[in-house]
Amino acid sequence: MSNKNKDGDFTSVTVLCYIIVMKGVFTMSEELISKKDLLDEAGISYGQLYRWKRKDLIPEEWFIRKSTFTGQETFFPKRKILDRINKIQQMKENLSLDELADMFSPNIADLLLEKDELVKRNIVSTTVLDYYLEIEKGGLTFNFSRLLEVYVLEKLLQSGEINLEEGKMLLQVLVDNKALIKQKKAELVITRKLGVSSCLLLINTENFHFERSTKIVAQLSLMACMEEIKSKLV
Amino acid sequence: METKNRGDLLINGFGSSNGGSFHAVTINGKGTVIGDVECSELDCNGSGSITGDVVVNQARINGHGKINGNMECQVLSVEGAAGVTGNLRVEMLKVSGKAKVGGKIKGDEIKIKGRLTVGEDCEAESFRAESQFSIGGLLNADLIDITLFADCDAKEIGGQTILIKQKNSLLGIFKSFVRTQLKTECIEGDKIEIENTKAGMVRGNQVVIGANCEIEVVEYSGEFTMDKNSIVKDIRKI
Repeated sequence: MSNKNKDGDFTSVTVLCYIIVMKGVFTMSEELISKKDLLDEAGISYGQLYRWKRKDLIPEEWFIRKSTFTGQETFFPKRKILDRINKIQQMKENLSLDELADMFSPNIADLLLEKDELVKRNIVSTTVLDYYLEIEKGGLTFNFSRLLEVYVLEKLLQSGEINLEEGKMLLQVLVDNKALIKQKKAELVITRKLGVSSCLLLINTENFHFERSTKIVAQLSLMACMEEIKSKLV
Repeated sequence: METKNRGDLLINGFGSSNGGSFHAVTINGKGTVIGDVECSELDCNGSGSITGDVVVNQARINGHGKINGNMECQVLSVEGAAGVTGNLRVEMLKVSGKAKVGGKIKGDEIKIKGRLTVGEDCEAESFRAESQFSIGGLLNADLIDITLFADCDAKEIGGQTILIKQKNSLLGIFKSFVRTQLKTECIEGDKIEIENTKAGMVRGNQVVIGANCEIEVVEYSGEFTMDKNSIVKDIRKI
């Protein structure tokens, strides 16, 4: 996974993996909850659940149909749906359902923010922002996909999980695959083996496994990042 | 949408045109439009067909209108026969004749007095039907108010308030000969009142089973009443 460049030091090769999984299919590793239990646990009614579904607050893929001895039943990925319902209930006091839907949907098309605005809103620190601009060489106005890139960089650099060199590699992956990231459920994984790091972008992935000596340094759902950014913008 | 300065498209008699952006599109007679259309008013009296996606403010179909593509509009009223092969996104849909949508309907208010056929899901805030309908997917609305005029079917029905009743017949004698029925796999709602329904599963808080129902399983959490002319195989209180 490594090659020597002209200067003689090691740079890693970026690997991009696509594992396309059928929509709505989850592995057994994900705990499911039936609709009945969900209503019980979350304390919501059928009316609310169906309303949220109509407003696209709950993605279609989360409705998993399975046959049981009582006939067909609908199940949900437990952790995700409880998390989402929690968020909806917290925020519906202040926001209308339509505004909430905008927040959860992954495409914010016409968002433009200035550099200063990002720092002011505490989305990105100045240091990371300057580093990003140095590598990416773009303007000072950020659209959503650039915002996402710089936010991911900020998140990983601030947590100390990656170094600057790895940050550069990560950006390259994100920039090269802009279009994919926006529409799909994308996940970013950074691994290290014998001191060589590589960055993977996984699209609609279910699961992935590495050999034992590979260490997963960071794993980040871009979808979750988008939501975090959106909640900061509101 | 700035449409005031745009031209109109008018087809009287036989005619065909390309799509584009217009203020008003009127088809009287037999008109064919090929290409995407964006306009503020669409009027189709006669037989019109549009091949392409349509975005419109107000649409009226009085004769026969067919759209081979998706349609997005504020108000759509159908007083003849309308067909949309793709998805229909509409704020207010009124059907007094016949409408057929191949894909999904996503709307605010849907009123049907006639016949509605939907290939996939049908979603709205309120769905009122005095009609016959057939929905291939989920019928999902806050308020579902259905009066059965003929046999209806939907794969699933879900919402807050679900009311299904039999049409009041003036000639009571015929009622027993011609029985209309709604067939569905599953009904889920907070308040459910149904008549003449055949369902696999009914789940709700307040459940009232009226006359002539055939239901496999009822699960309720609040109140439950049942007419003696109905058959429910299994009743569970949760």
